[in-house]
Amino acid sequence: MERTPTDTPEHPVFYAGRFSEEISGAGLPGDHTVLSDWDVLPAQLASALEPASILVVLDIFSFPFESLTGDLVDVPLILLLPTGYDADFLVTVFGKAAFSRLGFFDRVAAADDDLWDEVRRRYDFAQGQLVEVEDGRPEYAAVEISAALEAESVLYAPSREGDYEANRYWSERGDALAGNAPHRAICSVNHGPKFNKAIHRVQEKVLNPQIAAARGIQAEEVPFDVLEIGAGVGRWAASFDPAKTRFTGVDISEGMVEAARKNFPQCRFDLLGEDSVLPYGDESFDLSFSVTVMHHNPTPTKRALISEMWRVTRPGGRLMFLEDFVSGGWFTTSTVYPMSVNEFVGLLFEATAGQVVLEHVESIRYQHDDFTRGGLLSVSKLGVAGTW
Amino acid sequence: MPENEFYTPTDMDRLRMENELLAFEVRFLKARSGGQPEITGSPISLSRMTHLEEAETDLKLLLRRIQNSPLGPVARTNKSFQTLNERYLKQPDTALTMAPAQRTVYLEGAERDLVLLLRRLGSGPLGLYFRRRKSFRTLQERYL
Repeated sequence: MERTPTDTPEHPVFYAGRFSEEISGAGLPGDHTVLSDWDVLPAQLASALEPASILVVLDIFSFPFESLTGDLVDVPLILLLPTGYDADFLVTVFGKAAFSRLGFFDRVAAADDDLWDEVRRRYDFAQGQLVEVEDGRPEYAAVEISAALEAESVLYAPSREGDYEANRYWSERGDALAGNAPHRAICSVNHGPKFNKAIHRVQEKVLNPQIAAARGIQAEEVPFDVLEIGAGVGRWAASFDPAKTRFTGVDISEGMVEAARKNFPQCRFDLLGEDSVLPYGDESFDLSFSVTVMHHNPTPTKRALISEMWRVTRPGGRLMFLEDFVSGGWFTTSTVYPMSVNEFVGLLFEATAGQVVLEHVESIRYQHDDFTRGGLLSVSKLGVAGTW
Repeated sequence: MPENEFYTPTDMDRLRMENELLAFEVRFLKARSGGQPEITGSPISLSRMTHLEEAETDLKLLLRRIQNSPLGPVARTNKSFQTLNERYLKQPDTALTMAPAQRTVYLEGAERDLVLLLRRLGSGPLGLYFRRRKSFRTLQERYL
């Protein structure tokens, strides 16, 4: 998915709280804002965070997390874990207010590996959500975090000279991004972390109820087998409870697959070959889905992927497609070439020989667009199970 | 859409695609809330509904054009034309209030009427006149 970047210049905002003097004197590189505990009073917080591309909370004890409402929920967070406290204490004090609100596009900065591992284990955070710092004291950590943000702000995009060739383009781009920004390597990554988090939030709101519907009345103790096509660094794996789900993702980029394995070691991630043949047996999954993948590919690839998704899904299982069905049409270098929904449904019908039933349709309007662009189609697979 | 290459959509494509998406969603929601056979049908039934609705729109446009053309006064004396006029132009909103099953029957009737009308116009004494018009040829290609 591609979008027009917002016009407002954005930069990282560091909430220094009680340490504002130390942070202001620390010589942070690049464009940034430092806020003290007086700057985040409820009446001021919205304007203070208006230019924030990302909010780094260096003083977790004094930050009013409950005031992050409205548009502010889309500002990605980096929370610095304070030194000298154990995981039990931090989870008890900040579990509900802070950690439980962190999503895939938020991160945690920590100097103590054991502390990070413990917090990560409790909240199923991805390894890519860690910002490693050598020194956990706010004034030193701020410099390291700032340098890390500077480094990842230069993102790689393959040259679009010549014809766009989807497999090569996404394989190259995926490999480069996975090394540089493993926590947010998605197709619209160039538009900044706030943009990505906002898009993810909208998609999550549409997708999660359908994931729950796909599970339906299946007993809790029966593992729910899920396959994601174009899983990238595995961001959607975070939407599934690992205790009840066996999540598998495939991607065409080796770098992405490696990053996804590090992010979610409890899940399985495999490389997808250029022939688009899924390396799984027939009827292996209860749910197969893709999020903004099909619209980057030409029709034959779409057809092959849909057909393969149908093959590996169990009868009665679901296939879901959250894609763009409307083109922006103004990007000369766009890599988004969606089919209209009628064309896509026609292709879906053709690729599955009509052996599907439409279960859900929902259009999606992203907040940055002035028109409805995306849509979710959920279909269930007809047929009788070949294996019991 | 080309099979093996991408294309650059125009603003018109964008409008068409957005319209299709919203119409598709509305039809799905209508079908689901109405509890009619459509809900349990395959996605092709929704595609078919789209086609039928387009046929109804094309029929209405064609009737209006004939009525407003120099042939209008002649056409209005024709009983079949009067029937079509009565059915599709004088009661424009009745179809919207129909139950889904009824509406499907109505739309299928509109498609049949359009096919018959196109055949008659194309093979009648004024067939040559109609066939020279691009919009008529487009309709013929689409429905005949």
